[in-house]
Amino acid sequence: MNRALLAALENIYPADRLLTRDVELLPYESDALTAFSAKPGAVVLPVDEAEIIYTVRLCHEMAVPFVARGSGTSLSGGSLPIPEGLTIGLNRLNRIKKIDPQQRIAVVEPGVINLHITEAAQPYGLYYAPDPSSQSICTIGGNIAFNSGGAHCLKYGMTSNHVLGMKVVLADGAVTQFGSESIEGVGVGPDLVGLFVGSEGLFGIALEITVRLMPQPELYRTVLAAYDDLGRAGDAVSMVVASGLLPGAMEIMDRLAIKAAEASVNAGYPDAEALLIVELEGEAPQVNAEFEQLRRIIDASGAFESRVAKSEAERTRIWKGRKGAFSAVGRLSPDYIVQDGVVPRSRLGEALLEINALKAKYSLDVANVFHAGDGNLHPLILYDGREDGALEKAEALAGEILALCVNLGGSITGEHGIGMEKRDYLPAMFSEEEIDIMQALRLAIDPKEIANRGKMFPGGEAPALARQGMHPLERAGVISRE
Amino acid sequence: MTISAPATVDELQTLIRDSERIHVIGKGSKTALHGNVNGAATVGLSEISGIIEYQPAEYTVTVRAGTAVHDLSAALDDEGQYLPFDPLLPAAATIGGVVAANLSGSRRFRYGGVRDFILGAEVVDGAGRAFRVGGKVVKNSAGFDLSKFLVGSLGRYAIMTELTFKVFPDVPRFRSLAFHYEQLEDALSAIYFINQSPYELDALDLVPPPLMNRGKKDGCWKLLARLAGFDETLPQRVERFSAAMTGETAPIQVKPLEDSASLWDPLAGLAGACLVKVALSPKQVPRFDEMVSRSPRRYGVGGNIVWLETEDIKQLDAALKSCELTGLCLRGVVESAVIGAPLENVLAARVKQVLDPQNKLV
Ligand SMILES: Cc1cc2nc3c(=O)[nH]c(=O)nc-3n(C[C@H](O)[C@H](O)[C@H](O)COP(=O)(O)OP(=O)(O)OC[C@H]3O[C@@H](n4cnc5c(N)ncnc54)[C@H](O)[C@@H]3O)c2cc1C
Repeated sequence: MNRALLAALENIYPADRLLTRDVELLPYESDALTAFSAKPGAVVLPVDEAEIIYTVRLCHEMAVPFVARGSGTSLSGGSLPIPEGLTIGLNRLNRIKKIDPQQRIAVVEPGVINLHITEAAQPYGLYYAPDPSSQSICTIGGNIAFNSGGAHCLKYGMTSNHVLGMKVVLADGAVTQFGSESIEGVGVGPDLVGLFVGSEGLFGIALEITVRLMPQPELYRTVLAAYDDLGRAGDAVSMVVASGLLPGAMEIMDRLAIKAAEASVNAGYPDAEALLIVELEGEAPQVNAEFEQLRRIIDASGAFESRVAKSEAERTRIWKGRKGAFSAVGRLSPDYIVQDGVVPRSRLGEALLEINALKAKYSLDVANVFHAGDGNLHPLILYDGREDGALEKAEALAGEILALCVNLGGSITGEHGIGMEKRDYLPAMFSEEEIDIMQALRLAIDPKEIANRGKMFPGGEAPALARQGMHPLERAGVISRE
Repeated sequence: MTISAPATVDELQTLIRDSERIHVIGKGSKTALHGNVNGAATVGLSEISGIIEYQPAEYTVTVRAGTAVHDLSAALDDEGQYLPFDPLLPAAATIGGVVAANLSGSRRFRYGGVRDFILGAEVVDGAGRAFRVGGKVVKNSAGFDLSKFLVGSLGRYAIMTELTFKVFPDVPRFRSLAFHYEQLEDALSAIYFINQSPYELDALDLVPPPLMNRGKKDGCWKLLARLAGFDETLPQRVERFSAAMTGETAPIQVKPLEDSASLWDPLAGLAGACLVKVALSPKQVPRFDEMVSRSPRRYGVGGNIVWLETEDIKQLDAALKSCELTGLCLRGVVESAVIGAPLENVLAARVKQVLDPQNKLV
């Protein structure tokens, strides 16, 4: 670690917020892509934005790479430390500075936990809409880096659609503000909020964020339909879309995922090849009318069983199985990789067939749980990291799935980001020139390439393969993968 | 002004490479944007038009940037779908112009603005490079999201040639109502009430009292609300909503209105020579409104946008600056289309340096 930087950091950080000893660094060596780890040179834990700005400026001056870290739940290695670099832990910037229910906005620090915003807004009948499964633990800063989504993003969009303004420090130490408290932003001029969201920590660090809150829907109607064929569940989604309904969520689970969820949270799911969850939300009279239409569609879709949640408790139970499905699958296997490809919705069936074929080719198990409404697949590839070459085999299969998504006209990531994990697949989606332009943009903002070096762009030094198994928080049952 | 109208992306690239300065227009419907461009070559995109791919089942449409909004909306309407950001000036504008100037209409209130529905774009930048930004599926988080950056970029960073949007199914029926209030504060309180209620409005605009009637009997603020949904549920919803509004916000009058496109065209009553759009937050309305109380104006999208006419652009510029707001002139003869608080930003400057290093695009 750069000595001069450490000395300068010691000037402002007390010893309990400047971590350098091996045992202190251990919890920061990985994120939720647990197959990889790297030792940071040091970790600092700032408590206010002035400390962050000071730290970034020092890194820039001394050309030391840094990575911002929220809760370290990235599934793509986005918050993996840079060897000998600085990790800037943001969990202590966790204040909700303002809730303005009249204008439906909240102003928060970057280390605020996603769900805490909803909890603070609840007394006013409002909530923060993007709902990653990790929402009880992940931070708004991390959500911004990846434009995170969740099961309920079909109607109101992902993180980017809910951020109105922010203050950031760019990688070279410049501090600037974008957007405003208006839902129309500044109204004119390029949308800088839109550009910063999804930049994976490569542009700098978000210091303060203004988010939009939504009124809690008056009514949810949730239906669970069981099919003896995965393709039929996919067709049902197309039928719903064709009918002109716009549900809040449409999710599918396949047999392996159902089995695992059943074993772990006892959701009471029927024994089926595929389950479809459709949820309508909104004003009661409208939702009730839409629901009649939805029932007719489900009845005509060949479901052998369908259940309607009759109470909030039943609704919660339906979602519990879905939201916990992936850690449940994880319990069936020592290790797993979650993929995040997107395909055009109408090609879901094709994609699933192909994945089945790949499964056989690699003789690995793959469970599927996905955001069917927006074609966002989350195949979960099971492997045993103790077996020689197993991770490599799982990664090769993951790579084929990504290629498949691109070939079908989709994307290699819908919400988890490129990070470290998928950086070599970026060229599958963008031409050399396009990548050059993105790289030039990065260099214009960060000439020394210090912000999250080694992520997103192909090449770069790879951190060591290391640990196996679930994220410690997952093992403890605090979070689950989606 | 001579306008070159390239028919292909290749031709556009050549034009950019061969010109010192380029100013791009759609069809030129927003005249104020095309006033003072210092003798730059003007490029019109109306030849680069047409729908490339529309898949109703995917909720996506890809279209050339010079396509008339009117044509695009008609094609979507045939399938029962629409652009939820509600592009403005549908009769005259191109879709690229709507994105470049960031012009959403009143229905933006329900689901979001241009930024919320743009998924990707093909562009030619100031260096003449043609490339793609963003994606073509409804969800994608690969690479920097330069497609959102283009929203409001006024053609100064790259010229859009193709755009992909997310679209939604449209609702079958509408009902509109007006709630009258004596004071602006009362009308704003009603907006705050709606903001925290579960009533899902399709649009919510606020119309100030007619200028000649200020202080007189008819001098009230009209809050226009629109509900959308199924025919069979609308009467009940309208009734519930009116009852809640009457109980909680004490309007002096509640009036059902004939629903029509012109009722929800925020520019319909604004015929003056110089037309300006300003984004603001509802809580900035009282102070700003005092400064522009003599201008015909309408607040759109729950008090988040104001459309106004002005005779005195200098005075408006000063008023905007004092409120730290920025305005965009759409119509009129002005020195600069952007007025009020300047747009300069270090991140935007860095992007400019990469996409248009020779500062060709003005
Ligand atoms: C069990 C589980 C379930 C999940 N479910 C979902 C899901 O449903 N949907 C979904 O989208 N994702 C999901 N994820 C992925 C992950 O939770 C999200 O990517 C989340 O946004 C990461 O937040 P974090 O605070 O943990 O960020 P970290 O992992 O700490 O950091 C992620 C990235 O953000 C950057 N970053 C952090 N803070 C800032 C800041 N202030 N400014 C700029 N950059 C910053 C980091 O540098 C890093 O690149 C899941 C993960 C797990 C482990």
